[in-house]
Amino acid sequence: MVLEGYQVKLVPVGASDLEMLRAWRNDPKISQHMLTKAKITKAQQIRWFEKVSQDASQKHFVIWYKDKPIGAANIKALDGKCLESTSVIEPGLYIYEDKYRANLLAFAPTLLLNDFSFYDIGVEKLKAVVLAENQAALNYNQKLGYTIVNEGPLIEIELERLSYEVASKPLKGLLSRVSGGKKSGV
Amino acid sequence: MASENQSKLIAAFATALNIDTSLVKDELAYNTIPEWDSTAHMSLVAELEDVFDIMLDTDDIIDMSSVLKAKEIVAKYGVEL
Repeated sequence: MVLEGYQVKLVPVGASDLEMLRAWRNDPKISQHMLTKAKITKAQQIRWFEKVSQDASQKHFVIWYKDKPIGAANIKALDGKCLESTSVIEPGLYIYEDKYRANLLAFAPTLLLNDFSFYDIGVEKLKAVVLAENQAALNYNQKLGYTIVNEGPLIEIELERLSYEVASKPLKGLLSRVSGGKKSGV
Repeated sequence: MASENQSKLIAAFATALNIDTSLVKDELAYNTIPEWDSTAHMSLVAELEDVFDIMLDTDDIIDMSSVLKAKEIVAKYGVEL
């Protein structure tokens, strides 16, 4: 299942993506923001792929923009049920390409994941945890309507559908335009 | 006209980002100051579109990562700078 919209495409992770994903995940610019910072070996990466490929409670994607892979994203059912019958999902992502890390485009894959979770699966809420020192991630999620529910070394945040709809509307508008031009000629 | 448009662009940035015009330099980039976040970026797009009577396409909204880049983009829409 490929998710597409807001200028990006989320393509399920395939075997041919594994070494690229491992290199990204082991890069300190990414691993420093992860809960697990240990280097991932090739064997671990293969075992992970075999496990998640058989696991109906999660989906993992490569984020594509203009025919180029720029990052990774995933959704997981927090109760371990299959995604289609869960009520709470934890989405996650990182953008690897520097050009798009501090860029409006970084919102696009999350909008796709959130739309899929709220409107296709019909979950009640999304939950996530952010390392307290990762202020950029916290700001990012708050722009999408997340609220803090528990503070500590790990900050727990939640997003309900209505808050998401209100917060994401202007972003969706900007990331969904077909073409521009002179206003008088549009 | 060119220098007038330069001034308009600088004023648009200052208004959207709520910063002093003296801070609007070519090298100023998205997310490098707290004032230029995604919300301000949306205001900036609206401000530039209003000031120059243009409608930016999404690729340009994404590419508009600095003041210099914004100048290049609005020039594509026929704005003389």
